[in-house]
Amino acid sequence: MPGPVRQRSAPGPSDSPTLTPIRCLLVDDHPAIRVGLCQLLADEDDFEVLDAVPSAEAAVAFAQGAEVDVAIVDYQLSGRSGLWASRKLKRLPRPPAVLIYSAFSDYFLAAACVVAEADGLVNKSALGAELCERIREVSRGVTRLPLVPPSLADSMRRRLDSEEQAIFGMLLAGIEPDDIATTLGHSRGGLESRLWTMLRKLERLDMVR
Amino acid sequence: MPERSRQRRYVPLFQRVAGINALLLIAALVVTLLVLAPRKFSSFAADEAAVLIAALALLVLANLVLLRRVVRPLEALIALARRVDLSRPGERMPGAAPTSEAGELALTFNEMLARLEAERREATGRVLAGQEAERLRIAQELHDQVGQELTAVLLGLARIQGRLQTPLREELIEVQEAVRTSLEDVRRIALELRPEALDDLGLVSALAVLGERFAQRSGVAVSQQIDEELPALDAESELVVYRVAQEALTNVARHSGANRAELALRAEPPGVVLTVSDGGHGLAAGSEPGTGIRGMRERAALIGAGLELDSGPDGGCQVRLSVAVDGEASAW
Repeated sequence: MPGPVRQRSAPGPSDSPTLTPIRCLLVDDHPAIRVGLCQLLADEDDFEVLDAVPSAEAAVAFAQGAEVDVAIVDYQLSGRSGLWASRKLKRLPRPPAVLIYSAFSDYFLAAACVVAEADGLVNKSALGAELCERIREVSRGVTRLPLVPPSLADSMRRRLDSEEQAIFGMLLAGIEPDDIATTLGHSRGGLESRLWTMLRKLERLDMVR
Repeated sequence: MPERSRQRRYVPLFQRVAGINALLLIAALVVTLLVLAPRKFSSFAADEAAVLIAALALLVLANLVLLRRVVRPLEALIALARRVDLSRPGERMPGAAPTSEAGELALTFNEMLARLEAERREATGRVLAGQEAERLRIAQELHDQVGQELTAVLLGLARIQGRLQTPLREELIEVQEAVRTSLEDVRRIALELRPEALDDLGLVSALAVLGERFAQRSGVAVSQQIDEELPALDAESELVVYRVAQEALTNVARHSGANRAELALRAEPPGVVLTVSDGGHGLAAGSEPGTGIRGMRERAALIGAGLELDSGPDGGCQVRLSVAVDGEASAW
């Protein structure tokens, strides 16, 4: 996707990727894509594919019992969406980086990714090299999502109530959820449920099946 | 309507009854005179004759007026039956009440119109719903099957690419690019086939999303003018407005050569008007309408909306769809 991107670097879980491979979890409901991704990543020295699962629920269940560095998650899964998986994964004690791998990647999905706290968004038509590069990037703790153009952010805000708009604005500005909760005087749990509601509202703008 | 030129092969009821009544009146007068004063026939005074003729004329006139009142509703009914157009529903016969045969007839006629309109509405709904369901099915097949398989092919190619040496590698990159383009085409077609966010967001937001997405994809700048207060449309009309806007924008990108377009939805009594105009090179003189325009016309006809295609305010092409919202339609 063209246009500016939001970037945020933080010390990631694996600061020295050359020594230990990046442990990846693949989530896609299409078997051919799971196989293709596995083979592609297996050919690279710095990746280790832990598992490839077909659903959001299976991904969360697997990540609870394993140390995952990067989850590569298809957005359109049968059952719960990849964004649901993203928010769930980000709530784990040791959250993996989440890269949304989607057939449609436009600004609407990018905005929903911000709310789902995903770290990156890659189009399924991207070339293999680009995908690998983005996995390495998010594993280093770089968050890179397309910036939502102001006109579009406006039309999306109309779907949200005034407080959700404020939360959305702060998320777009890259403010951490903990700081948002403090600013708005919410408990972390209160903000959580708001974020789930917002995600549902924003996701509906996208091409959900 | 061919019926309008049909030749009338009978004497209208009004003339027939009026003629017969006039003859009867004259006959009654003659008989009365013959019975009461037979001798008078030979020696009519001029003033007496004048009074008689005037009285007769008055009776005939009164008869005409009374008869006219009986026959007029029938003529109005015939006229309405001729001009009634189911694609513009809501027209009814006034004065329909069970107080006379004509009133009963009007009442029955109105009931029949209501029934026909309801059937037509149902049929239209079924056609549109069937069309949309089919589109959705194709979009899902494209996305779930073709799209996913092409993605897998792309991943396989990426893997092979890493093991190849130039110049084979260069060739493979070209193949990859071709697959990638096909994949993007498949995605785009799947996206265009779905009614997108219409159900969830309502017409106004869905149009806004459509415009934004279109601009993002095609590079044509879309300015949107959508009225805040719009009369409520039924689901079928919303779908038609949305689809016409979508098709018109596609035409702008395909044929106009313009780099900007305007999408407007305004409240204009008796309904709403959608216009999509561009700053392109306009309509070629004498050009045949393509399938896109025919499709828009068919959709408009399904809900009885008007679709006009002409030159826009600044030389480009303008598509104008006017959807009438009548009281009855919005109350359903």
